[in-house]
Amino acid sequence: MSHIHLPDGILPFAWWASAYIVCIAVLCIMLRLIKKGEVRRKVPFTGVMSALMLISMSVPLGFIPIHMSLSVLNGILAGPALGFIAVFVVNIMLSLMGHGGLSVAGLNTLLMGSEVLIGYYMFTALKRHMKPSLAAGISALVALTVSVALMFGVLAATIGTEEALPGHESGEHGIGKEQPASFLSLSGWSAAAVILIIGMLTEALVTGLIVSFFSRVRPDLIDAPAVSESNRMG
Amino acid sequence: MHLAAVDYMAVNGKSFLHKAGPHSKILMTLLLIAGVLIADSLAKLGLIFIFTAALVVLSEADLREILHLIIYPAFFSIVFALIGMQRSVAAGLAVLLRAIDAAMAVILLITTTSYVDIFAVLSIFLPGVILDIFIFTYRSLFILLEKLEDLLRSIRLRGGYHPLRLALNFRNTAGMIGVLIIHSFDMSDRLYRIYTLRGYSGRIPLTRKFKTGVCDVVLVVVSVLMLTGVIIKWSIW
Repeated sequence: MSHIHLPDGILPFAWWASAYIVCIAVLCIMLRLIKKGEVRRKVPFTGVMSALMLISMSVPLGFIPIHMSLSVLNGILAGPALGFIAVFVVNIMLSLMGHGGLSVAGLNTLLMGSEVLIGYYMFTALKRHMKPSLAAGISALVALTVSVALMFGVLAATIGTEEALPGHESGEHGIGKEQPASFLSLSGWSAAAVILIIGMLTEALVTGLIVSFFSRVRPDLIDAPAVSESNRMG
Repeated sequence: MHLAAVDYMAVNGKSFLHKAGPHSKILMTLLLIAGVLIADSLAKLGLIFIFTAALVVLSEADLREILHLIIYPAFFSIVFALIGMQRSVAAGLAVLLRAIDAAMAVILLITTTSYVDIFAVLSIFLPGVILDIFIFTYRSLFILLEKLEDLLRSIRLRGGYHPLRLALNFRNTAGMIGVLIIHSFDMSDRLYRIYTLRGYSGRIPLTRKFKTGVCDVVLVVVSVLMLTGVIIKWSIW
């Protein structure tokens, strides 16, 4: 959900270049984490999972102007290593379609990759103590909160803290006029913040509902992600 | 996501750009993006825009599709362009032009080069695992998109989707994605078996023999000249 649709040329060179370096380093670690003997079996599944993420980004959710990314669900089902690689592939393909610049793909991978890693580890820890659907929902919400906070951090570094933080409106630039407080006054970044919160809740809810659906139909998918699947395939 | 339209243009196009090698087109795209990132004046960005737009027209692509694809980056750069305009109108326009120029360069690449050819060039740099995931993603995408369209149509026909009934949409969307994921598991299983039967041993072989013709040389030379022109500090500006 925290995929930044920034085109090329907006983010400073130091930011996107260092993001690419970190992204490549994390990818190398993830590639080492996958056991060589299992890679062959897991590759088709990871490809399909990446395709699913791309598709979920094109599913409309009614009148709310957001789309889901399913990165937390991807982490839960594919595991952290394959999930991160899937996110990298998704971001490169998205940037080739004009959804976010090619230079921003590394940063987007790190943002969405953080959702994969946090989501997977939180879900693994929480599912022992509560229903899988609830554990998935909470994991998704926490992972999305962290990644959205990181996204705002990047925006703040790009366009300035005042511009990036919700509550700042374009009319506040040194005019000095006092405006009456209004509970229903939503515009600019405030509106964007509300949409983001709705988006986070939506994705968390949908992730929980999907995991609940799996609990009923295919509980084996949640109990042991990807690995057992590969064994089953063999 | 206009994926099918892009794929159709890339595979069925007959222009000189379609005939050029993927290696030269990827190099040209990277040089153009580098130019966009380095350009320090509106005139230079304008020049890159004219060059890229001319190539788009010469590629005989469906201009309506291209326009649709360019709207995304243009739309998302508007906020930053408005912020830039608080400094000066030129700064705002530069943000907008940068976004459009870079997007157009990438769109030119994907509408004149098939994804398989792009992956073949990427195979020089990327590990085999990641490359295979790219290929499987691309292969699965069309199958799953068709499946999704069928599911969406089926949900709508049965009254399971309404723009204003969010709770219903959430429940049905979750169910639909769940069904799609289960279908995907079975599909990845089938894909694995099919590829194993065909001798898949952890790396899908791709043809890496890229022919370099006059067209390729011209594209790269002109792009290098463009980049050089962008780097030089012209005294007339």
